[in-house]
Amino acid sequence: MDDKLLLARAIAQRLQGFRYDDARLAEIMTEVDVLNDAVREAAAARLTFDDEPAAFRSVLEWRDR
Amino acid sequence: MARSMNGDDLALRDLCEVADDIAARRITSVQATEACLARIADWQPRTNAFLRLHAKKALARAHAMDGELATGSRRSPLHGVPMAHKDMYYRIGENSTGGSAIRRDWVASTTATVLRKLDAAGVVELGFLSMAEFAAGPTGHNIHHGHCRNPWDGQRITGGSSSGSGASVAARMVYGALGSDTGGSIRLPASACGVVGMKATYGRVSRAGALARSWTLDHVGPLTRTVRDNARLLTAIAGHDPNDSTTSEKPVLDYEASVEDGVRGLKVGFSLPDALVPVDPQVATAVQTAADTLESLGAAIVPVKLPDFTALYRAAEVIVKCEAAAMHRPWMEADAPYANQVRTRMDAGFFIPATQYIDALRLRAHFVSDFLAAAMTDVDAVMLPTIPFPVPTIEETDVEASGGPATLSMVARFTGLTRPFNTLGLPVLSIPCGFDASGVPIGLQLVGRPFDEALLYRIGHAYQRATDHHRKVPV
Repeated sequence: MDDKLLLARAIAQRLQGFRYDDARLAEIMTEVDVLNDAVREAAAARLTFDDEPAAFRSVLEWRDR
Repeated sequence: MARSMNGDDLALRDLCEVADDIAARRITSVQATEACLARIADWQPRTNAFLRLHAKKALARAHAMDGELATGSRRSPLHGVPMAHKDMYYRIGENSTGGSAIRRDWVASTTATVLRKLDAAGVVELGFLSMAEFAAGPTGHNIHHGHCRNPWDGQRITGGSSSGSGASVAARMVYGALGSDTGGSIRLPASACGVVGMKATYGRVSRAGALARSWTLDHVGPLTRTVRDNARLLTAIAGHDPNDSTTSEKPVLDYEASVEDGVRGLKVGFSLPDALVPVDPQVATAVQTAADTLESLGAAIVPVKLPDFTALYRAAEVIVKCEAAAMHRPWMEADAPYANQVRTRMDAGFFIPATQYIDALRLRAHFVSDFLAAAMTDVDAVMLPTIPFPVPTIEETDVEASGGPATLSMVARFTGLTRPFNTLGLPVLSIPCGFDASGVPIGLQLVGRPFDEALLYRIGHAYQRATDHHRKVPV
């Protein structure tokens, strides 16, 4: 069993309290990898220390016509 | 069938026509309600658009609205107009299923702000409409309450998750309906059913008392037959709400007031974003023809290159999966009766690190700034397809029955051009722009700057004045 599957099983059972079979865990981790990689790459290219989630609504409020 | 003194079927009229005729006492709210009920009796078996019909209550309310008018009191430009809404808007003391089996008998302890606004406006509520289970599906499938069927072709999907809203407005069962949009759930059924759908700017319409799919991506909005109808309905429901801290305090415009201002002098960015999502030639031709029409009306059509949507799409997925997993956890732990595809779409939310979820939220400000700079610096609005291919069949997209890779891929591509705009929070209007070879509608999106809904309505109304796609009725 690879490290990623062991990690997924530990997250499911010990952190979240769910049980999945290994086949489903492998599917989930494939999906999570794609999502995590996309966000991590976008974050590395754009985010700085001072970025905060609430800035989004400020942009909407002040970037109108 | 309820008919006016002119002998036409009242149900076929637009919301604004009926509202204005009720106000002028040329027809009554009761007549309009009876016309809708007759239409529902005919079309419900073919579409399954309604989950609950409140005929007696609606007629009593219509009588009351007529009584108020008789005393000279008109509550609003929607006084006496029959509507119905996606079954996710809570009304105190009444059942609200959210399209689920889990909440089949659940009773709400509050009333949604948007319903309170429509009550105050004098709207007649005919009942509540089909939707994807917990608003978690873009097609209109529902294994608990039955699939919703497209009025133009009963074998085809309606789009979702506001499936009943799209179907009921298209089949002229109601004059308008509320839907909600987390990844395209107003615009997809609007496009697939040939009606108008508005996902306004995030914060323009209160979400209080509406079942959530994802707090930070959910948008409440109207589906109607015409752009003018939609503008009137948005005017009634928009505005700041102390019960939803994410609503804006910007003043609400009378969106209908400027729909006749035309498009002369406006610049509309045009994109067939093949590099992002492959666009079927039938869809591309319909949207190109719409651009030509706007140009003939005096708008400048400017090609724009949209930024890559991949990160926007993935960030939206991270946000919706994490938020949905958090809110559904107690039911998932109890092994509650979800459709398999609804449950499995949330699983990843338990495995995505909190830092990634927070970064997805932090990225939104950059995404919207980047989009406005890249695509909207020199244009007033951007135009692109809503669904990039002809509306598929219920069978082709049934992930519950046959969730193979091809089916899953098609369902994912279905939201390829809509979901990114939930991440951005920008206003988007979907309007019908033609029909495919099977006679099923095609729609286009008009994207605006923050809080520029009025401009989108101007463009959409000018287009509808010059075309008749929205006048065609399923038979």
